[in-house]
Amino acid sequence: MKAIEVRELRKSYPKKIPLPFRKVQWVEAVRGISFEVRRGELFGLLGPNGAGKTTTIKMLTTLLEPSGGTAAVLGHDIRRDAREIRKRINLVAEGERTLYWRLSAYENLKYFARIYYVPKSEEKERIEGLLKLVGLWERRDDLIMNYSRGMKQRLAIAKALINDPEVLFLDEPTLGLDVQSALFVREFIRKLVDEQKKTVLLTTHYLGEAEELCDRIAIIDHGRIIALDTPEGLKRLVKGEDAVEIKVRDFPAEKLEKFPWKLAVVKENTERGTVTLRGQVDEDDLPKVVELLVKSGSRILSVEQKEPTLEDVFIKLTGRD
Amino acid sequence: MAIIAVIEKEFRMFFRYPLRVFSSILVGIVFLLQFVFFGQAVLGGRYSQLLASSTGIGDYPTYALVGYVLWWLSVSPMEAYVWGIRRELQRGTFETNIAAPVRITELLLGIALSWLIMDSLLMTVVFAFGALIFHISITFSILLKSLPVLMLSFLAFLGFGFIFAGLVMMLKHIGPFAQIFEFSMLFFSGIFFPLGVMPGIVVEFSKILPLTHSVSAIRGIFIGKSYSEIAPSITWLILLVFVYWLIGYAIFRWAERVTRVMGYGGY
Ligand SMILES: Nc1ncnc2c1ncn2[C@@H]1O[C@H](COP(=O)(O)OP(=O)(O)OP(=O)(O)O)[C@@H](O)[C@H]1O
Ligand SMILES: [Mg+2]
Repeated sequence: MKAIEVRELRKSYPKKIPLPFRKVQWVEAVRGISFEVRRGELFGLLGPNGAGKTTTIKMLTTLLEPSGGTAAVLGHDIRRDAREIRKRINLVAEGERTLYWRLSAYENLKYFARIYYVPKSEEKERIEGLLKLVGLWERRDDLIMNYSRGMKQRLAIAKALINDPEVLFLDEPTLGLDVQSALFVREFIRKLVDEQKKTVLLTTHYLGEAEELCDRIAIIDHGRIIALDTPEGLKRLVKGEDAVEIKVRDFPAEKLEKFPWKLAVVKENTERGTVTLRGQVDEDDLPKVVELLVKSGSRILSVEQKEPTLEDVFIKLTGRD
Repeated sequence: MAIIAVIEKEFRMFFRYPLRVFSSILVGIVFLLQFVFFGQAVLGGRYSQLLASSTGIGDYPTYALVGYVLWWLSVSPMEAYVWGIRRELQRGTFETNIAAPVRITELLLGIALSWLIMDSLLMTVVFAFGALIFHISITFSILLKSLPVLMLSFLAFLGFGFIFAGLVMMLKHIGPFAQIFEFSMLFFSGIFFPLGVMPGIVVEFSKILPLTHSVSAIRGIFIGKSYSEIAPSITWLILLVFVYWLIGYAIFRWAERVTRVMGYGGY
């Protein structure tokens, strides 16, 4: 049995509350996606803002009613067996305030242990173990409102492990964290899969994170999966094509759309007025690209050949960064 | 039981700030004093012949104190939903709760019950204070006799409030609407003046509010009536317990279905 099986899953949100006899318009957020996640796999949903990542996670964690298609988590239908699924999974939701800021770390975990029906006899030991695991044991009695963003996220992860879930859903787990905290979280997630054999589905819009962390990645854009493979497999899509990074000054961004090459802005330094563009450009085409850039009024600062990365796959598939 | 965990959590958060507890009591007292002094100023004393003939209690402070305390308790579950749940919806903690295997009804009831118990504690202080400064004599037997009626009233208030549980999940921001409702209950349940002075249609309408019967039953006990003498009010209360639990639950089920389509956060 697969940990997660998704078939043609769809979701549209109503623009207004769908009261009886009220005509409402619907916005399509997820437009028929299918994928499977094996047990013990670390699966990533990678996509830009508004791609439908959170919507997908909410449907799979039974928080949101799908508009079409089917999905099963641990063999249970997400529409029919919500309670059974909830007992055996857990999630770290998007955002900073998913726990009670006016309670301490210990009190938060104790509360969630109860509403996840953790046996009373195991409660103490489990909470202590988790708080030590995420490095918050010393600060267990401090209120969450006094925690840093990184500590809050570590506690959110501890909460997500309170029922010893078989499948863990993580929605942008490193968003807004500093380099140190993000590193801790990424290593922690990898260990959960390698050492505790958990199945993890995470979403991210950081390409590096997906590439480094995930066993397989589905790239999702505008509610559709446009590629699904291992990081290596995805990179093969751009193999043999050279990636080029061009640093320019005074670049008129609106010109980019009319370019015959798929280039994306990957870095922008507004202070200095410089922009770094990246994309696949053949050696033969390179002079033409440079010429076009110069003609459009920008000054070339540097042109560099790069090893293709997941970023290039993404640019190639979506035409943006 | 999960509901105990919910209550424990709400208590911890409320009593963590003694200043807030103190200010809640203060608000309760100030509000009470205003109404009682205002009523006495209009009456020109604490005794009212009109009150005595239409309700049996002629002593205005007793009349108002009982009504006021019960009114506060009756709106407590509503407040728990329209402010407490809304706050959690807004912050995102509500969704963290929903994701757990605990039943939503248990979560919602737990919150209303917590607020009702906390308000009962506050109101005990306010009541004691009011009884002291207005020299209202209370006997132990009156308190003991009131207790079962109070419990029955709580059941009715919880059911009545549950209507708002579903509505707040679906509509999110209904606090201002609920507030109008809460204050009109002061009016329609005969808290500070007897219902008899209102038009007949208002008197009829007031019968569907649990507070009306709860107040009338407990006031009856305060002037020494027996249970059989207040039986009509109690019968009404029992009936309304069933009616409002049914309506509340039906609205909740519908609202839950709609909310699952829209999302529990979503704003
Ligand atoms: N509750 C909601 N009601 C209406 N529309 C919504 C709701 N939630 C999301 N949407 C819309 O659905 C689309 C997908 O949103 P979703 O939050 O799933 O994207 P995401 O991939 O998680 O993006 P982000 O990186 O910004 O978190 C967006 O266009 C968004 O505006
Ligand atoms: Mg998202």
